[in-house]
Amino acid sequence: MKRFDAVVIGGGILGCFVARNLRRWNISTLLVEKEGDVCTGITRANSAIVYAGYDNKPGSSKAEMTVRGNANMDSLCEELEVPFSRCGSLLVTYDVSSVPKLERKLENGRQNGVAGMRMLTGEEAEAMEPMLKKGIAAAVYAPSTGTVNPWQLGIAAYENAVQNGAQVSLNTSVNGIRREDSGYILLTSGESIACKVVINCAGLYADQLQQLLFPPSTRLKLDGAEYLVLDPLARKPEHIIFHQADSCGKGITAIPCVEGNLLISGVRKDLTVPFATTAEGLEELYADTHRLLPELDTSMVIRSFGAVRPNPYRESGESIPDFCVENPAPGFYSLIGIKTPGLTCSNELGLALGEKAAAFLQAEKNICFNPHRKAIEKKKEDPDYCQILCQCERITKGEIMEAIRRGATTVDGVKRRVGSGMGRCQGSRCTWEIEKLLEENGHGAI
Amino acid sequence: MEQYDILIIGGGAAGISAAKAAKGAQVLLVDRKNALGGVLLQCTHQGFGKNKSGIEYAADLIKDFPQEVSLTLNTTVLSISKDRTALLSGKEFGLREIRFSQLILATGCREIPMGALPIAGTRPKGVYTAGQMQAMMNLHGHTPEGPVVILGSGDLGLIMAKQLAQAGLAVTLVEKKDHCGGMIKNQRCLKEFPIRLICGDTITEVHGYPQISGCTTAKGITIPCSTLLIAAGLVPERELIFGMEKYDWLHICGNCNTVHPMVEAVINEGKLSGVAACNNLRGSL
Repeated sequence: MKRFDAVVIGGGILGCFVARNLRRWNISTLLVEKEGDVCTGITRANSAIVYAGYDNKPGSSKAEMTVRGNANMDSLCEELEVPFSRCGSLLVTYDVSSVPKLERKLENGRQNGVAGMRMLTGEEAEAMEPMLKKGIAAAVYAPSTGTVNPWQLGIAAYENAVQNGAQVSLNTSVNGIRREDSGYILLTSGESIACKVVINCAGLYADQLQQLLFPPSTRLKLDGAEYLVLDPLARKPEHIIFHQADSCGKGITAIPCVEGNLLISGVRKDLTVPFATTAEGLEELYADTHRLLPELDTSMVIRSFGAVRPNPYRESGESIPDFCVENPAPGFYSLIGIKTPGLTCSNELGLALGEKAAAFLQAEKNICFNPHRKAIEKKKEDPDYCQILCQCERITKGEIMEAIRRGATTVDGVKRRVGSGMGRCQGSRCTWEIEKLLEENGHGAI
Repeated sequence: MEQYDILIIGGGAAGISAAKAAKGAQVLLVDRKNALGGVLLQCTHQGFGKNKSGIEYAADLIKDFPQEVSLTLNTTVLSISKDRTALLSGKEFGLREIRFSQLILATGCREIPMGALPIAGTRPKGVYTAGQMQAMMNLHGHTPEGPVVILGSGDLGLIMAKQLAQAGLAVTLVEKKDHCGGMIKNQRCLKEFPIRLICGDTITEVHGYPQISGCTTAKGITIPCSTLLIAAGLVPERELIFGMEKYDWLHICGNCNTVHPMVEAVINEGKLSGVAACNNLRGSL
């Protein structure tokens, strides 16, 4: 039986950052993921927002971590070579009666230490974002809000964890956990694994995972939202636009992503099928989008998708507004219901868990830890890096081969690493060739 | 920097005929594929010229392709600048910047993918565009799993319906309009094969994950399927010259100008662009 100091269960962005930060210490680490690749769940369908931190209750760990995660995002993205855009955000309302809500957010922001926020008049907001429907009552401007690609950040953390010695077991689900004097035994779909520390980052299944050994005091209720992605050539707002729900609509969000696409996120609602969109949801989202951004050319939508969010609540039914790390027994930590602003806080949560595990294990600092990870390069003298396979996003054979070397085993895995197939033809011209390259490298037939 | 009188982007029917018409000029033709012919090369069905297949028709077109035209295959044009330079990227020459006097855009069109349509549900495997499947079948010998649903009964939808029915697969066509959308000659397959045609309806939801298991229409019909082809229309591929449409050195021809149902019209436009580019060259001398 393999033995590790710590096992992280779940290879979403959170698990990847926990694994990365465990390696800041002399903690032998294994990341276990049930799928064949990391970042295939909540991480792959996400609003991509790095929040400023004015939404959260002053004094909460969410508020504190969000402001810190936001401030540290530049250096984190530099270390991991992931593009980050601090585009700023506008929270707008069209109803005078909603202005006090905005004032409360501003006050929250002040108390939480969010820098540079201010209230704008409707005219000021309209001048800043001329594509917004006229008639804005007021807006909160937060210059520190930004956007980062969630799966790129997660995969970067994963690669950095592996490069620092974390081991990985993909296609491995945990079916049972036993407690022993020396720690825990994980019964998996493969070999059993012994460890002293278990960190449960199982996302949508985190409550069920803890249930294998301890009754969780936190439960998950899933909800979902629809998203639209626009062609990068579409004229779009420059800031992230949050629309405070009012008489003009239910409150959608428009995000100008680092890749140049505008992403539009709809309103959260009860979930029927995870990661599926609903016809009514899409219809509503198009209608809300037209209302908020009347000049936006929605004929330039290239994709719609559904996202899932895990909402934590107590047995009593009361929802839990803050991040909570359950610690039902020594060495067992559960991150249940880490939702918005989980992306913003992913490295901060990882750091916190790393410290908890290190204190428990009395581990020393890993002096060899290297926080830097190299991104897949765009241009090289190599002829493979001049051969374009994905015409829309201009992704070369060289980049795709490197994505496969780094662990992509499916067309989607390649897509998440280099962005192939994300463009206006949605992979209809490059999928075959990428599948062929995957096959040549031993990754299954179509 | 290399300098050409005329740069032609795209080596399909439009680009080839433009190259032929651009007599006396120094021409560079660039295509991203490894052969001239464009989309014709994936068309095994009859119906081009006097009942030739696309492949045969392309072979005829290429026969008298002018020797003096410089040809660069396996190369993508990354960008066009207003100062009339183009950045090329290809496995043989690497990155290469060239200067041109006249530009003929003959980049054809692309298909509307499922993502662009308001179709709800999961995002399963087994959904392709019709032309994508045409290339998979005719260039790579792939056969999809049936039953197959095709959204859109335009020419491409009908051509694929016929080919799949010929391969013995059960095919259902779903058409938004209240009548079949394609040319009469392409509609004949509806009589020759047991192809189901549903008009006045459209697909609003797909089911199944990770593989597609069926789709539902606006009128509530659920059709089980293992493959869904989107034949919902073609879009001229003009992003390369975004914001440059007004320049007189730019000539747009073929399906990137407007989508033509007949190859003859594409060839004619290519010819006109070739001549216009040459006339502009003479005018500037």
